[in-house]
Amino acid sequence: MRILLAEDDPLLGDGLRAGLRQLGFQVDWVRDGRAAERELLAEPYAAAVLDLGLPLKDGVQVLPAIRRAGITTPVLVLTARDAVPDRIRGLDLGADDYVVKPVDLNELAARLRALVRRAHGQPQERLASQDVVLDPAARSVLRAGVPVALPAREFDLLHALMLNAGRVLSREQLEQHLYSWGREVESNAVEVHIHHLRRKLGNAVIQTVRGVGYMVAREGP
Amino acid sequence: MRLLPRSMQGRLLVLVLGLVSSVWVAAAAMTWRDVRHELGELLDGHLAQAAALLVVQQARELGDDHDAADAPTLHRYGPKVAFQVFHEGRLALRSANAPDLPLAGPGKPFKAGFRTVETGGAAWRVFAAQGAERDVQVYVSERIDSRNSILWAVLRGTLWPMLVALPLLALASWWAVSSGVAPLRKLGRTIAARQPQALQPVVLQDAPSEMAPMLDALNGLFERIARMMDLERRFTADAAHELRTPIAAIRAQAQVALAEADGARRRHALEATLQGCDRAARLVDQLLTLSRLEAGATTVKAPLDLAELVRQVVSQAAQQAIDKEQTLEVDALGACQVQGDATLLAVLVRNLVDNAIRYSPPHASVRVSVAAAPGRVLLKVEDSGAGMKGEDARRLGERFFRVLGSDQGGSGLGWSIVRRVAAVHQAPVHVGRSDSLGGLAVEIGFAAFP
Repeated sequence: MRILLAEDDPLLGDGLRAGLRQLGFQVDWVRDGRAAERELLAEPYAAAVLDLGLPLKDGVQVLPAIRRAGITTPVLVLTARDAVPDRIRGLDLGADDYVVKPVDLNELAARLRALVRRAHGQPQERLASQDVVLDPAARSVLRAGVPVALPAREFDLLHALMLNAGRVLSREQLEQHLYSWGREVESNAVEVHIHHLRRKLGNAVIQTVRGVGYMVAREGP
Repeated sequence: MRLLPRSMQGRLLVLVLGLVSSVWVAAAAMTWRDVRHELGELLDGHLAQAAALLVVQQARELGDDHDAADAPTLHRYGPKVAFQVFHEGRLALRSANAPDLPLAGPGKPFKAGFRTVETGGAAWRVFAAQGAERDVQVYVSERIDSRNSILWAVLRGTLWPMLVALPLLALASWWAVSSGVAPLRKLGRTIAARQPQALQPVVLQDAPSEMAPMLDALNGLFERIARMMDLERRFTADAAHELRTPIAAIRAQAQVALAEADGARRRHALEATLQGCDRAARLVDQLLTLSRLEAGATTVKAPLDLAELVRQVVSQAAQQAIDKEQTLEVDALGACQVQGDATLLAVLVRNLVDNAIRYSPPHASVRVSVAAAPGRVLLKVEDSGAGMKGEDARRLGERFFRVLGSDQGGSGLGWSIVRRVAAVHQAPVHVGRSDSLGGLAVEIGFAAFP
């Protein structure tokens, strides 16, 4: 899951990026409000962590700007201000969640997963399609009740497809989900990962839509 | 020892009643004196007239041989008045209460006129008169205490109303003073009922104009306290928020280190944790310094050599500059005496030098100079960094203001401290561009000593 981290404090930004990476996120880190706005407008992030007191453009200005531009990316506001009016203002400006510093990395990750899940209309933490169940928090995949070991990229790919169950995702879209900046993407990386996933989970789960991309069928009614 | 009660009401009451009583007593004393004088004259006049009548009458009536006769007592005041008539040395007529011997005192030579004698345990006012043709001597006397009782009756007439009126007057004064000091009591109650946080101005309906200066002073004080408390509150809130970020960083980095298997990344996270601790500690130091400065902690000013102080502080900062491979130079050769607080000035110089090193890129130059100008000592800290926009330079010193886009995890408190310390020393601070190095130049002008 690829997220944008907008934090101007070097130590905190570095720590959050490292921590969220450990927890399986692809993290892009920007240090000012203008960069945050630019990135959110340009890239399909699963979610964003936004510090309110950002240089150049305050988070308070970034939020309405991206919402006006029609960007629905869930935004978690991270701030030192904990007074209730501050929280209310943050949420009213278009934030989806509000976390006061200091925050536990696991909690931050859980909140981000919940935001992403809700943004995709998934009421449950675990995602299921046919006999495959994916648990984003535990980063585990079961096939017919049997755990299947998946490398991070394959897990992320499957996660993206299952979050968007019923929708076709193009190769470019999947790449954007998988890779943060500065990671060289091999041209056929997505195909290779799909191939490995099918070998481990069976051919039925991920369907190829010729000329468009890949999809996982929506579960149930 | 207190002469007056502590309560204003009691004080007013004592004063009013005391004054009224004194005036009254003085008036009574004057009445007593006047009445006694007038009464004396009047009654003496009566005595003299009675004596004259007796002399005239006796001169006509008295024969040669007769016994002393007692005159009847005709009025209940009779016993208080006595008379004797002597004819040729013998008692011819007397009132019932008069003795046989002359009223003026036995054995004393006859002397016409008034005298006061003591007879039978009472004091008498005696008037003696003598017939011109025949040997008739007449004594008419009156008891002094009867005079005094008249005097007292007059005096009672003056004093009684006072004794009755005084308690009434006390009550009335009590009520009047009470209603007079009512606004004061109300003010006391209003203030006593206040919560410590309630610092809005006191408004008293129909407060007397005499209370206006007090109310104004009180409200002025409330306003100043409110402003100070507001500053304090904002400072505490800002400080708490500023501390949250380094703590969040420490927490995140420590958590990363705990979960990290890779040695290099783990080490990086641990180092970052330590950096975060240093930063939090520095922030706390700055907050404490600033709060002490703003609380108006007493400064100890003494003559000192600013050049020497600068050399010391800069030598402590040298390692920091070496770490960034910066050139740090001091231009402070001669002695430059100023009057100042050594501890605070060291904090000021340290903050300026620290900022210059911190916000200048690696390999930059930082120069600290102290120079004597006529009547002044100029402290200048310059660097070859990026400098500062005019607007940012103006905002320097606002608490927690940080120049946007700077990569350093500063708190913006250093400048607040610099400005405060400079203000304590009445030294103007000028921020501009360095002519020689191209970066930021901070110039502080101290008054030279002596």
